[in-house]
Amino acid sequence: MVGVFVGGVAGYLGSLMVTKRMALVGDALGHAALPGIALALIYGFNPSWGAIPALFLGILLIWFLEIHTKLPMEALTGIVFTASVAIAFLFLPENEVSTALIGDISKISLSDTIFSVILSLVVFIVLKKMFSKMILTSLSEDLARVEHIDTKKLNFIYLICIAIVVALGIKVTGSLLMGALVITPAAAARNTASNLFQYSFGSLIIGAISCVLGILLFKAFSLPAGPFVILSATLIFIISLFFKKQ
Amino acid sequence: MDKDIILKVENLNVDFGEDRIIEDLSFDLKEKELLVILGPNGAGKSTLLKTLLGLIPYQGKIQWKDSVHIGYVPNEFVIPDNLPLNLKEFFQFKGDSLGKIFQALEWVGIKASEKVLKKRLYTFSSGQLRRTLIAWAMSDEPDIIFLDEPMLFIDIHGRETIYDSLVKIWEEKKQSIILVSHEIGEVCKKADKILALNKRKLFYGPPEEVITPQNLAKIYGSSISL
Repeated sequence: MVGVFVGGVAGYLGSLMVTKRMALVGDALGHAALPGIALALIYGFNPSWGAIPALFLGILLIWFLEIHTKLPMEALTGIVFTASVAIAFLFLPENEVSTALIGDISKISLSDTIFSVILSLVVFIVLKKMFSKMILTSLSEDLARVEHIDTKKLNFIYLICIAIVVALGIKVTGSLLMGALVITPAAAARNTASNLFQYSFGSLIIGAISCVLGILLFKAFSLPAGPFVILSATLIFIISLFFKKQ
Repeated sequence: MDKDIILKVENLNVDFGEDRIIEDLSFDLKEKELLVILGPNGAGKSTLLKTLLGLIPYQGKIQWKDSVHIGYVPNEFVIPDNLPLNLKEFFQFKGDSLGKIFQALEWVGIKASEKVLKKRLYTFSSGQLRRTLIAWAMSDEPDIIFLDEPMLFIDIHGRETIYDSLVKIWEEKKQSIILVSHEIGEVCKKADKILALNKRKLFYGPPEEVITPQNLAKIYGSSISL
């Protein structure tokens, strides 16, 4: 259930992130969450609760550095996420490294499930409402502003949505693979879509299917679910190449 | 402000850091007027347009008539390759009905059909995309439309088609238009006023007064034949 909702919303978000050429931001933020995940694993609380403050801190730091240094966001994201990984590995217990990096879906409780499903639905509704505005903003920010779109507010809400989806997704795929849960379904959907609706909802469905397939494979082989989820998405991406729209 | 004036600009200054891009500019625009802004590269034409649209901070006074609805055609508008955004969806960003979409496309000479509406924008030629953008800006019938170098990257034939569409729309609908252009073409002759700009106002007035060989030499720095 968590996989379907989190995979779906991650796929839907991915369709926006790929359009805005921010595909690797999800990956970087997955790493930026590591210190929070490490603390959660040490003190035995939900990794998502640890990831959320770490992600917000990471985003605020990138935003602050961008304003004060004028360095490209890409470079600043790189600095913040590598520093986060370095900090996390200073105190992350050796026996928890695998859980932090590739997730452990077996540790998801009923309250985690309810929390993840509700949050996924809220993020999906917010993203759906701002989807066309975000696409227009990515095509021309000036045009969007002339059309009375508050682009600063929109980008801020969008970043919060990314942070929440990353925080939810790392329970399924771990921080190392989170980027793929956002990028791969969107890339696969983009190959086969004729319009934006097919693209965004195709991405949502591929994200959800990848999670279901990954979890079924995890049950069958008793190996971590995260890599299976991503490999399922990758397989769908490869299949999509044969149906690529010209 | 006079009743028929839609825009009044007084002592406008725009700075980027320590560089003054627009200096002490004053002009006005009446309802249903076509104003063409001419000038060489780096003259501040696009900056002026963005300033009037409220996208750039400025000093001075910009006064709009109450509740003016603005349409805008930016000079940079690229559809990423492979983005599956079709024509119908693009117009629906503004909440346009099918009737409005068909009407707006007709204004710019695009024969609309269900098949055309399903075409993805990245498959359009530069000219088609530019005309689509003009139709998009016109679709909700703004009081004034801003066009920033709409002929950028368009071949000569495409330019004629777009200029023809533009003049036809203006003659039929009589909305106010502010057009930024490099060129001294047919549209300049139809304009009510020309504003020649090179950071500051060089010339401002009807085309027959502004578009003279002597003035053009001053605007562009070399003699230009008409």
